[in-house]
Amino acid sequence: MDRSGVKKRLLGLDREYGILLVIVAFIFTVPLWSRPIPGSVLHMDIVNIMCLAGTYACAVLGLNLLVGYAGQISLGHAAFFGIGAYTTAILCTRLTWYPTWLGVLSGMVLAGVIGWLVGVPVLRLKGHYLAMATLGLGEIAFILFTQLKWLTGGTVGVLNIPPLSVFGFAFDSDLKFYYLVWAVVALILLFSVNLIRSRVGRGLRALHSSEIAADAMGVPTAHYKIRVFVLSTVLAGLGGAFFAHFQRYINPETFILSLSILFVTMVVVGGMGDIWGGLVGVIFLAFLPPVIQALPEWIPGIPEGLTNFGNYQLILYGILLIVFMMFLPRGIAHGLERGAAFTNRRYRLLADHVKARKYE
Amino acid sequence: MVGRDADNRILVGGAAAAFCVLIVATLVVKGSTGLQWIMSGMTVGSIYALIAMGFSVIYSSTHVINFAQGEFSMLGGVLMFSLVTRGHLPTWLGFIIAVLIVTAIGAGLERVAIRPMRNHSVISVIIVTIGLAIALRATAKWIWGTDPVRVTAFSSGTRVKILGAYLPPQSFWVFGFAAVAVVLVFLFFNRTLLGKGMRAAAMNPDAASLVGVSSSTSSLVAWTIAAALGSAAGIVIAPIILPSFSSGAMLGLKGFSAAVVGGLGSAPGAVVGGLVLGVLETITAGVLPTGYKDAIAFLLLILVLLVRPQGLLGRAEDVKV
Amino acid sequence: MNDDPVLLDIDGVTKRFGGLAALKDVSFTVSRGEIKALIGPNGAGKTTLFDVLTGILRPTTGRVALKGEIVLGLRPDQITDLGMIRTFQTIQLFEGMTVLENAMVGCHSRTSAGFVSCGFLMPWALGEEKLIRREATRTLEEVGLETRASEIGTNLPYGQQRMLELARALASQPDILLLDEPAAGLNQYETGELSGLLTRLRDKGLTILIVEHDMGLVMDISDEVVVLDYGEVIARGTPEVVQNDPRVIEAYLGIEAE
Repeated sequence: MDRSGVKKRLLGLDREYGILLVIVAFIFTVPLWSRPIPGSVLHMDIVNIMCLAGTYACAVLGLNLLVGYAGQISLGHAAFFGIGAYTTAILCTRLTWYPTWLGVLSGMVLAGVIGWLVGVPVLRLKGHYLAMATLGLGEIAFILFTQLKWLTGGTVGVLNIPPLSVFGFAFDSDLKFYYLVWAVVALILLFSVNLIRSRVGRGLRALHSSEIAADAMGVPTAHYKIRVFVLSTVLAGLGGAFFAHFQRYINPETFILSLSILFVTMVVVGGMGDIWGGLVGVIFLAFLPPVIQALPEWIPGIPEGLTNFGNYQLILYGILLIVFMMFLPRGIAHGLERGAAFTNRRYRLLADHVKARKYE
Repeated sequence: MVGRDADNRILVGGAAAAFCVLIVATLVVKGSTGLQWIMSGMTVGSIYALIAMGFSVIYSSTHVINFAQGEFSMLGGVLMFSLVTRGHLPTWLGFIIAVLIVTAIGAGLERVAIRPMRNHSVISVIIVTIGLAIALRATAKWIWGTDPVRVTAFSSGTRVKILGAYLPPQSFWVFGFAAVAVVLVFLFFNRTLLGKGMRAAAMNPDAASLVGVSSSTSSLVAWTIAAALGSAAGIVIAPIILPSFSSGAMLGLKGFSAAVVGGLGSAPGAVVGGLVLGVLETITAGVLPTGYKDAIAFLLLILVLLVRPQGLLGRAEDVKV
Repeated sequence: MNDDPVLLDIDGVTKRFGGLAALKDVSFTVSRGEIKALIGPNGAGKTTLFDVLTGILRPTTGRVALKGEIVLGLRPDQITDLGMIRTFQTIQLFEGMTVLENAMVGCHSRTSAGFVSCGFLMPWALGEEKLIRREATRTLEEVGLETRASEIGTNLPYGQQRMLELARALASQPDILLLDEPAAGLNQYETGELSGLLTRLRDKGLTILIVEHDMGLVMDISDEVVVLDYGEVIARGTPEVVQNDPRVIEAYLGIEAE
């Protein structure tokens, strides 16, 4: 957090917009350098992984606002992700005339409505009741996705989902979809930055700092919590709808508790309440499993038994999660910021030292 | 406030009455089949109750929801397979060794992974328990594989017939162990100095130092008890459910629902929540397509949170309405 | 517009915690444009009364009307919207926010841009943002903090944090300001500044209800004083009258004189 009091600027813009511009520029260039090179260590399909990460990012950025500002966690965002996915998948496969972009919109609306129905009664309560209620909701959603065979196709799911197309332009390749989903993620980031810097954002930050004082200053804290929750469910619905049009098929196995947990983990590992933290968490955790999987190939001399050791990946994943929470409890984004400040200070000390020597 | 207390009493009384009516109706309409359902429901409900108590004990001393709770039960089950079914140890010895191993794992994990997190936010600690669950499950998959294992029943013999309902002998072992475990936990929290101190500290953290129980001890003991309860539950139910590396997840979630329904942090609540959940589940499984059986736990969970968030037997203190 | 001289009407407010009565049948009114002080020994129920007035606590019985409108049962933010705002006994500045941003939060109740218009930078939201910035800057000037606008609020020296809390409340352009021990922890110079500021605000037409232990300040600026002891009003009147009331001397000033 910026504690110096001086408004920091980057690229001639306010700091947040500067960071956003850097991120957008970086994302734009990823497909240019990341072609899988056969035989090299970098043989994972980065664009493909980033496409999936982009759909997760939609959900995680919304969830980050909820965790960071309303102080609530949801363990059921996979349900809203799934509602978005199933809504557009079912509409677009059953009604062949149904525009896919309208399907995405429908998914967002339905996710938001269900989020509102759950959020209004539960968010009146203090403590982690939202976490418990959303956990229950997530399990029920999974059971319904599996059991309502006439609607959802049961365990088989929905197949042959058309690619997303807008005004006749179909986003039918990884690369096209990559640019679409990350453009939307950039918009969500822009929206979040605008929001946090606005009247509402100040209200949310006040709420995060002291609920009683925020109340007394006229911030309708109860309403704000509900709105942030609904916003997060709408964004999860958006992510899910994108997911359906990207994968082209969906089945209930995707929308399980593990996915909800993955979303929360992305928020926490990245850094809760830090807009960039959600993004860092998504990218980190999206690349962690493929990197762990590729690890034995990168490090020569690893015993054969270990490379074949079927689930070492998951064990390592679980342990890494614990280690990260222990050593970077405020998230990677915060850790990076502190690291940057530290090297900056060392650099300045060094510069002073050199200067002092010069004038000796 | 007085009015709300009365409202709450009516609510809980009403729920109890509705449950009794459902039981009687099941017995009247379905006869011995109904009794069969209720008895099987109580068997699995006893297991939920033990797991729920594990959740409650950890929650009341640390306010953490332990997502690795179900994995203790899974470990108990698969260890029993290795020790007794494969290793041919006597059942009682296998039971003791399995419980000891899992309890040691629980206590060890508390020291290694939970204790260092004492100054971190509750959300971070919950993520750590999720990490533990993932690592434990993956380790079990590595050691025992993906296939469910068949654990030898505690006593041989065919089904026992009671009033037309058939029960496997293992059900009686389940009832017996659950009853003993509940009594032991009750004695610990009401009769021993450490247990009473932990209860006082849970109610008022500032008083923790006054009663001479540090939060460190409290957390360690809570994890030890939770691991012991979870593993014992997993072991006695093992011959009935065929445990596998993945069976901990659902057991954990059901136990969690039972704990919230009864009142997270309340031991009697955990027992009531577990039994009610178990019976409702088997009745539902009998009436509706089996796929919906698992939904009952979570419907009940949400319903309770909306109507009576502190749970059936929980105290209303930290709940704002 | 309501021309009733009575701005805030507190009528028979009782608040019980369990068997203990923190407030017993408290009744008094605050008129437009006056500074009314609420004094009494520690534990007399002053902060409890503030909590009841601002909707944090619900009284057991009684009625509170602001500008003729009943405020009981409203949420704290709704009461703030109606024009009654408070400060806190312990400073409650918002963490990580600059001095200006703290004051800008105070404008919340006078503005209305929502999630969507803020997130999408709608023109009216931007216009409102300018207005908020101007209003917040103006209140900072009023309390003399305009030069520190870009510093983090919680990094200010104590006295200035108090002033910032005051500025934040003023930014909501309230009809009545409830101050809970605003001089606590201030040095003599700062108290003098505060006294001047409050008088100036009163002369501009602001109504103030102040809880304060600094008797010098209270006697200096208040038009009327209400004395609370064990949750009951034991005296009221001009500072001179109250100072000479034997019950007050016994309950409150007498203790100080010992």
